[in-house]
Amino acid sequence: MTVTYVLMQNLRRNPLRSALTCLAFALPMAVFVAALSFVVALRDMAQANEKQLRLAVHHKTSIINLLPEGMRRRIEALDPQRQRLTAVCGMRWFGGRVPGTPNTLTSLAADADTFPAVYAEVGLTPAEIEAWQRDRRAAVVGRGPAEQHGWKVGGRAVLESTVPPYLSLEFTIIRILDDPQRANVFYFRRDYMDEALREAGWDADKVNIFWVKCVSAEALRSLQQDIDALFADTPDETKSEDENAFIANFTQAAGDIPGLMKAMAVVVVFIIALVAGNTMMMSFRERTRELAVFKAIGFQSWRIFGIVLGESLLLAMAGSLLGIVPAALVLALAPARGMNVGPINALEVSPAAVAGSLIIAAAVGAAAGLWPAVQGLRLRTVDALRIPG
Amino acid sequence: MAENPAARTVRASESSIMGLPLVYHWRSLFARRSTTLLTVLVVAAVTAVLAWMLSFAAALRSSLAVAADGRKIIVLKRGATAESNSAIRAEDMNLLTQVEGLDIDPETGRALISPEMLVQVQLPRLADGGRTAANVAVRGVTGTAFSVHRNVQLDGRCFAAGSREVIVGRTAARQFAGLRVGDTINLGYGSDRGYTVVGTFSAGGGPMESEIWGYLPSLMNAYNRTLYSSAALRIAPDADSRAVIERIEGPAVQLNASTEADYWREQAMLVRVYLAVAGVLVGLMAVAAVLSVANTMYASVAGRTREIAMLRTIGFGPGRILAGFVLEAAILALIGGVLGCAACAAWLRLVGNTKDMFGATTFTSMAFQIVLDPRTAAEALACVVLVGAAGAVFPARRAARLPAISGLREV
Repeated sequence: MTVTYVLMQNLRRNPLRSALTCLAFALPMAVFVAALSFVVALRDMAQANEKQLRLAVHHKTSIINLLPEGMRRRIEALDPQRQRLTAVCGMRWFGGRVPGTPNTLTSLAADADTFPAVYAEVGLTPAEIEAWQRDRRAAVVGRGPAEQHGWKVGGRAVLESTVPPYLSLEFTIIRILDDPQRANVFYFRRDYMDEALREAGWDADKVNIFWVKCVSAEALRSLQQDIDALFADTPDETKSEDENAFIANFTQAAGDIPGLMKAMAVVVVFIIALVAGNTMMMSFRERTRELAVFKAIGFQSWRIFGIVLGESLLLAMAGSLLGIVPAALVLALAPARGMNVGPINALEVSPAAVAGSLIIAAAVGAAAGLWPAVQGLRLRTVDALRIPG
Repeated sequence: MAENPAARTVRASESSIMGLPLVYHWRSLFARRSTTLLTVLVVAAVTAVLAWMLSFAAALRSSLAVAADGRKIIVLKRGATAESNSAIRAEDMNLLTQVEGLDIDPETGRALISPEMLVQVQLPRLADGGRTAANVAVRGVTGTAFSVHRNVQLDGRCFAAGSREVIVGRTAARQFAGLRVGDTINLGYGSDRGYTVVGTFSAGGGPMESEIWGYLPSLMNAYNRTLYSSAALRIAPDADSRAVIERIEGPAVQLNASTEADYWREQAMLVRVYLAVAGVLVGLMAVAAVLSVANTMYASVAGRTREIAMLRTIGFGPGRILAGFVLEAAILALIGGVLGCAACAAWLRLVGNTKDMFGATTFTSMAFQIVLDPRTAAEALACVVLVGAAGAVFPARRAARLPAISGLREV
């Protein structure tokens, strides 16, 4: 009679309880894996951003306060030898949406010459960079709107702006991005937007933000200070932040979903620990006598320990798989980026999150089984045999 | 299995008329202390999250309810999605004065039209010690605004016309740094752009309490603007709002109009999506709590087979047994619920009860203060009692169907 056999028999003895425990484990674990995926995705994004060493420079009063594009030369002049910064790219908010749809895309007009260098990780191929430089209507778009509207590389797309003077522009798609973090973006050339703004008699040659690509973290910190000092006490006083600090303002403004997810994850671990602990305590109590019989017929204590702990672990793993697999499938088949709501776009179940969830589940299972298992280890055969039931 | 001491306290005389006495269930719960405690804690954890979510939803609801002034219309440029990205020319503003059905200011004899400009200022959040900053709406208004937005009540002085002074909404003052009376904030372009906060205002708890208000001409000057953002109109008591909206959207004026209620409902989309996501997560956890209660009650029924058979023998019908077990689980859930509500209230008090979120298209923050009021707590408790009862139905049915005679034989 092997330990595994006893284990399976035990789980089968009260199938209802095993099933209820599994399900009570599975549902919170489905929440957990989604929450953890989200946290992992944001952490990956933050790490990736950090590597990009980009500094966001915007008006101190608000990002809607426009900065004159000439400031780019003054920023570049801080480092004429290019020892601290690689390139500076000005961006202006277009707030475009596909005519007849409600969702505003993260559409930004970028300096044509420096965009490929400052956004090197977007990974434009030399041919695409050439197309970007050649075609004033070139646009690099995320896969969210591309899938939704059936856009193809080489095809046309029209966006109408939601900010004055409500331009309507036509673009040529030169690249569709796979990166889930950029699922909702629409980058295009700022000279094209400025031309249309001038025709409409509107302020051109202005940007909302300058992205400064730096060579090192130290260079980024020193430029952050130098740039803000350069424009202090001018009408265009700036606030410089690294990319993660800049993004944090927006994730907070979208309701701090990362915070919500983290809180949910903590509550879930608490709940499953209690559920598993409860089950293990109930089954141990009912089986004290039986375990004593095992001991009496010669099972060593560590085997009893193994049987109890193994049951708990097995239940926890089965329950968490039952939760994780459907959650991963649902998110894979119906990606959250379809909802087009801020940071939720990034929600995809990642292998790291699945692994993390399984580890947490195993830890919870082990912890829940530990107390009864130790009791089993300490079981005094003679006393336990006296217990009725 | 030890005899449940609670069973002994039941006196046949009182039980034959009513159901099982409450004290029996209360003591039964304590007979299996550790299991009960663990289940109570599961329910408490779910309730805490649920109560927080319901409180947030209630805050949103009350804020939007306040904004639902049926006599108020917000006019935007066609194609604009929010006041902050709308631009209206002075000529168009003049066209609005000719729209029929507007309320008239008794003092000036002119239509109640409030021209407004909406921009934003980045201010640190107090909740996270200024680590992140929010985009706070800055609204340029004239005196007419106070006749159109009737729920706006000044607390202290108003800004003086032509001066660099602002007043701030109550919620904004609580949630964002640098907005106390006497503080100075920078607005607009230009090297001399400090504006002094001279007073606060309330708007009945509505979204405007998250804003900063200043004198329209000064602010337009500060932002080098010649265009207004939007207009707020008050329609005459006898006029039909639909008809007025049609006139504004018609060929003569060609602007976009919506009632204030519709406007803010649309802006709250993001908040509602957020609440829906939270709702799905809480729902999944609540089902887990149901299962956990079921597990506990099944074990309880299995452990009390003899006791239940005894109760049947002394005259308790299956219906009463069933009701008794459901009641027992409901009590268990209620204890968990009360604990959970207490945890939620403690969280709001200790960790913070402020939250601000972007409007769907405004790019500015709507701030909320989340309060666990008695009504919300009652809602949460009602949900939780349902969770407990739902978890108990099947185990209780099993208890009710136990055959009395063979049950008595069971050890």
